[in-house]
Parts: sequence; structure tokens; C-alpha cells
Amino acid sequence: MLYYLTAVVFGMVGLTYAAVPLYRTFCQATGYGGTVQRKETVEEKIARHSESGTVTEREIVVQFTADVADGMQWKFTPTQREVRVKPGESVLAFYTAENKISAPITGVSTYNVTPMKAGVYFNKIQCFCYEEQRLLPGEQIDVPVFFYIDPEFETDPRMDGINNLILTYTFFKVSEENTTATSSSVPVQETS
Amino acid sequence: LDFIPLHAPVDLFVCMGMAGGAFGGNRGLRPIPPEKGIFPLDHLHECDAEKKEYLGCLKSSSNKSEQCRHLSKKYLQCRMAKNLMAKQDMSELGFSGVKELDSAGDKNKESLEH
Repeated sequence: MLYYLTAVVFGMVGLTYAAVPLYRTFCQATGYGGTVQRKETVEEKIARHSESGTVTEREIVVQFTADVADGMQWKFTPTQREVRVKPGESVLAFYTAENKISAPITGVSTYNVTPMKAGVYFNKIQCFCYEEQRLLPGEQIDVPVFFYIDPEFETDPRMDGINNLILTYTFFKVSEENTTATSSSVPVQETS
Repeated sequence: LDFIPLHAPVDLFVCMGMAGGAFGGNRGLRPIPPEKGIFPLDHLHECDAEKKEYLGCLKSSSNKSEQCRHLSKKYLQCRMAKNLMAKQDMSELGFSGVKELDSAGDKNKESLEH
């Protein structure tokens, strides 16, 4: 009996560890919860639609929002509130980030698309996300996002009535450097 | 797998968390690397002029991206020239039908995509 119970415990623990990669695969495969899918690369998609001469009619408004995690002392805002795009157009947009304190800060960002079921059609071609970015004290910079909405969005009946997408970027702090320079009289904020 | 419907709410929350942000971020999860690439930051503001031109165009065209594509192409070409972006053919990025303004100032746009 004891061996049986022990085996069950180990089995449960093993399943818990396996859940992370399993869920990731599941989320990507189904696009559930807004996870962006990646089976065909964006370039392949662009090339395919370019060759087949896909024409799109529907205008979609993509709105931009920006967030910073607690303790992240960057001012982070979208440079433009929205863009009006058609599926099949590759689109450029910007966010503005500014380091508000007197120490260099390194951050990393992620993004999400709502409504979640539309995330399947949102393809990021390039952005400033997922890699650490470092801003010097007081530095302000505009960072680009380059994306593409799959033309198949137009023909999917589940997307009927969806004419607004919201793209949200969130910056998290990776590290803040201690400046021991005595010229600055502003105290460096320590994260608690 | 007839118990899937019961798992649906759990799955939704887990996928939202995985997608990066619903419950306070990526704690414990390794971020998924981007598909194509990452834009390095333009710390030296080398492509600011092209960026401003594009943003100005968006403002004056009520944020309609289609009308400013020749300028977004110009911005990306600037990035490639300054090594802020991997060089690649613009048609691969969806610009196959977009021509820049020529010296006469006419916008010559072939209708390959539209």
C-alpha cells in the first residue's frame, strides 16, 4: 500500500513538472488565451499571400497600450494611440520609453493581443521584446514594433464583428545598477 | 478526452499566463524568443528623422497605415543601413508593392497587394 501511494505521489509531481511544456504546446497549438501561434513563419505567410494576390477590404483599428511592472521606473507609453490597418499589410508602430531615475535600468518586455481569439492572426515580424534593453539615466528612446495581421482574419467567421485589436506591451525590470558617482545629488532608488 | 470541457477555465487562465502578462508576468517562465528578430535600440537616434517622418504621416492621415507605408519602408531601410536591423529584401517584409516617393514627388504605388 505504501509503495503504491509513494508511486502516486511521484507520479503527481512528475505530471506537475510536465504540465509547463505541455501547456505551452497546447496554448501555441490552439492559440488559446491569446497565445500567438507559430507554425508558418511570417515571411512565408507574406510570400504566400503576395503570390496569390490576396486582396483585403476590412479596416481594423489596432490600439496600443503600455504597462510597466511594479518597481520599474521607466515611463513607457505608445507613441501613437492607434493605427488603422488592413489584414495583409505589414505595419510599423512605436512605443516611447524613458528612464526616469539617475541609474541605468535594464528591462525586458512581452506583449499580448486582445481579443484573445484574434491573437492567432497577429504576427509580430520584429519588435524590441524578449531581449534585455538598457536605458541610461534620463534616456528617452522610441522603440519600434513591426507586425502583420494575417489576411485569413477576414475570412474567419469567428472574427466577425472584431474590428478592434489591442496590442499591449509590458516592461519588467531586470536590473538596476548602483551608481556611486558622487556628482549626482539625487538618491538612487533601491527596490525593496 | 471527454473531461476537456471541465478543464477549459483552467486552461484559459494558464494560457493567458503563458501568453505573458495576465497574472503579473513571466515569473518562472522563460520568455519565448521572437520569431524573426529583435530590434536593437536606436540609442544614437540615427533613424530619428525617418521615424519622425513616418509618425508625422500617420498623424496627418488619421493613423491610416496604408498611406504611410512608403515611409515605414524608408525607416526600416535606414535601420538596415545603420546595422540596426538584419538586411533583407523589402518584398519579404511585405513591401513588394510599395515604391518610395520619386524626385517629382509623385507617389507611385503598384496595386500588387491592394
